[in-house]
Amino acid sequence: MNLNIKVTKENTFDAIVVGSGMTGGFAAKELTEKGMKVLMIERGKEIKHVQDYDTAMKQPWEIEHRGKTTLVSAEERWANSRFWGLGSEEVVNHLTNDKENPYIEKRPFDWIRAYHTGGKSMHWGRQSYRWNKQDFEANAKEGIGIDWPIRYEDLEPWYTHVEKFVGVSGQKEGLDVLPDGHFLPPMPLFAPEAYFKKVMFDKFNRPVTVGRVANLTQPQAIHTELGRASCQYRNKCARGCPYGGYYSSLSGAIPAAMRTKRLTVLHDSIVAEIIYDDQKKKAVGVRVINQHNHLVTDYFAKIIFLNAGSINTAALMLNSKSSRFPNGFGNDSDQVGRNLMDHQLGAGATASIEGFEDDYVYGQRPNALYIPRFRNWGNDKQTAYLRGFGYQGGASREGWNRGVAADGFGGDFKENLTKPGAWAISIGGFGEVLPDPNNRMYLDPDKKDKWGVPLIVFDAAFSDNDRAIRKDIIASAVEMLETAGFKNATPYDRPTHLGLGIHDMGTARMGRDPKTSVLNSFNQVHDSKNVFVTDGAAMASASCVNPSITYMALTARAVDHAVKSLKKREL
Amino acid sequence: MNRREVIKSVALMFGGTLSAPTLMAMNHWEQNSPIPTTSAAFSLTEQQRKIVAEVAEMIIPRTNTVGAKDVGVPAFIEMMLKDCYLQPDHQRFLEGLTSLEQLKFLELNEGERRGALKMMEQQTKEQMKVPSKTVPFWRLMKELTLLGYFTSEAGIKASFEYVQIPGKLENIKLKPNQKLYAY
Repeated sequence: MNLNIKVTKENTFDAIVVGSGMTGGFAAKELTEKGMKVLMIERGKEIKHVQDYDTAMKQPWEIEHRGKTTLVSAEERWANSRFWGLGSEEVVNHLTNDKENPYIEKRPFDWIRAYHTGGKSMHWGRQSYRWNKQDFEANAKEGIGIDWPIRYEDLEPWYTHVEKFVGVSGQKEGLDVLPDGHFLPPMPLFAPEAYFKKVMFDKFNRPVTVGRVANLTQPQAIHTELGRASCQYRNKCARGCPYGGYYSSLSGAIPAAMRTKRLTVLHDSIVAEIIYDDQKKKAVGVRVINQHNHLVTDYFAKIIFLNAGSINTAALMLNSKSSRFPNGFGNDSDQVGRNLMDHQLGAGATASIEGFEDDYVYGQRPNALYIPRFRNWGNDKQTAYLRGFGYQGGASREGWNRGVAADGFGGDFKENLTKPGAWAISIGGFGEVLPDPNNRMYLDPDKKDKWGVPLIVFDAAFSDNDRAIRKDIIASAVEMLETAGFKNATPYDRPTHLGLGIHDMGTARMGRDPKTSVLNSFNQVHDSKNVFVTDGAAMASASCVNPSITYMALTARAVDHAVKSLKKREL
Repeated sequence: MNRREVIKSVALMFGGTLSAPTLMAMNHWEQNSPIPTTSAAFSLTEQQRKIVAEVAEMIIPRTNTVGAKDVGVPAFIEMMLKDCYLQPDHQRFLEGLTSLEQLKFLELNEGERRGALKMMEQQTKEQMKVPSKTVPFWRLMKELTLLGYFTSEAGIKASFEYVQIPGKLENIKLKPNQKLYAY
């Protein structure tokens, strides 16, 4: 017993954060900056900012298969390869080997994972939009799912807090549908996009703005003191940025937490269970399996933040059974793993653009144009569906690859392909998905992975409402491109499943009533309030905007509450 | 335009190129079944290698700048087929090569060779109208030739204004004889 006490002491922290990605990193930063001694546990390998971005500075000819996925990679990364380009050598080593980390699809689910320091924050699309007031109110008004226990005003100061630290480039537009934030200077729209913006406003009264993106257009002291520099407009963000030009846990939150000297990071360590103490009536720590030697170690803390990503966070809760929580930690409501949502992706339209022959662009914009939701907003009322969608897209001049489908070969053909081609435009929708308790993931009762942890089973699909939104995404895209006078407007509709948006969320939702929700208004697990879930799992609805900035704002707000409560000895 | 065509056009739009493995992954996801394991051995005969090299050079010939053969496109094509494409793609590619072998392509003069490729180009357009999981020989040959050439060091530097680190982003007007930027 004496030995155990010593180990227990060494393994005890003020706070444990499970996961080092978008929200885990932010939780660690906020907790350590508020004086907490934090243990952050990452299941995957260690990646060091800059020095481990092994493909970042490679020139095109140094990428052996030039961006294509090899058969070996397609087999190992059978899920990741479902997303455009993620099987390529440029990024593949920073995405999870699906063969070694299998999951079960009762119904298909495209689960894109990145098990390493920083998680998917290394690869995210960086689009950063605040939710609007209606996003928080719609569930209650429409009788969908459950009401959010918070409103826009509760999150507003935390959005500002996060935006300042992250560094979001964007244009203020004064729109209710897309609240302005604390922005760095916007990136430019290109000539045909500026024209498109004007026509959309004149003909439809629909605003078009340049994407709000977490790339530094004008770094501030809060960024440079962490070693971050201006975006270099290479648009190779997914490889990791040696300049820290875009925000990730690796470039921002983790260095900020390390600076406090209060952060300890464990890598290669799978959190398999939350340890619940029946006497103390609260969670006291976590049980961790080493990826390599399979040794099991317990770690203890006063507060625990679950930030493993919505699927793995819910799986961890479901796998943590105790006499108090026989159906999984915090799962009195049976909502853990349910209401799995995502955003619809892969539908829209393309068109060719005549004119603008003299216009070109220097540099690569790691960003897009954005068309905020206009459906079921203001005077628009759709009968076929609830909620709506936004578009991301952009115009560019065709490159040499236009030659693949074109006629011809030989000297003139070759010479022609060295010149900028015609402009073309593509816009694709991000559609809101409604919460549905029957869309879920759960643990397989028998099958386990090589660490003895139950495999995750997905059983979820799009609804009629989702499909009606998708239909309109396509029809409206064609209508808008045609109205702008662009040619050959062509719809596209990649048949997708939930997951491909890589915005999985909802599996441990916030709510007012412990009977129907998992978390309270400060992301605390009902009935074990020293455990906080602040990743996508917490979401009671999905909105149609990219979620990361909202997750980070929820995280910062929850940490503030946690530390205040701890000081008041309420936890 | 069928769905695959659309995906390809979108891929092109975003700076990628038509990618067989992407389509392969898509099939997997449509069927919810494992991707067949690779290991389909693929290699070309000496004569087939010569034809591939000659066709690649006719697509991107040496002019006042380097051509396909100069930058190693023929070997690149064989490597890509082996590493990135499945057996049905191999088979269709080999069928195309066989038809050129039957034409005694290597014995034809320059004009006859050009005629043969033009005919193949027309046939390919018809073939592309039929939905298929594989791509006709000419289309794949052309794609891999352009990919290999325009991403090779000498090909990029001879063809484009190569800028590894732009450092800024701005709208500009075309200069006379403006080349594409490559990054």
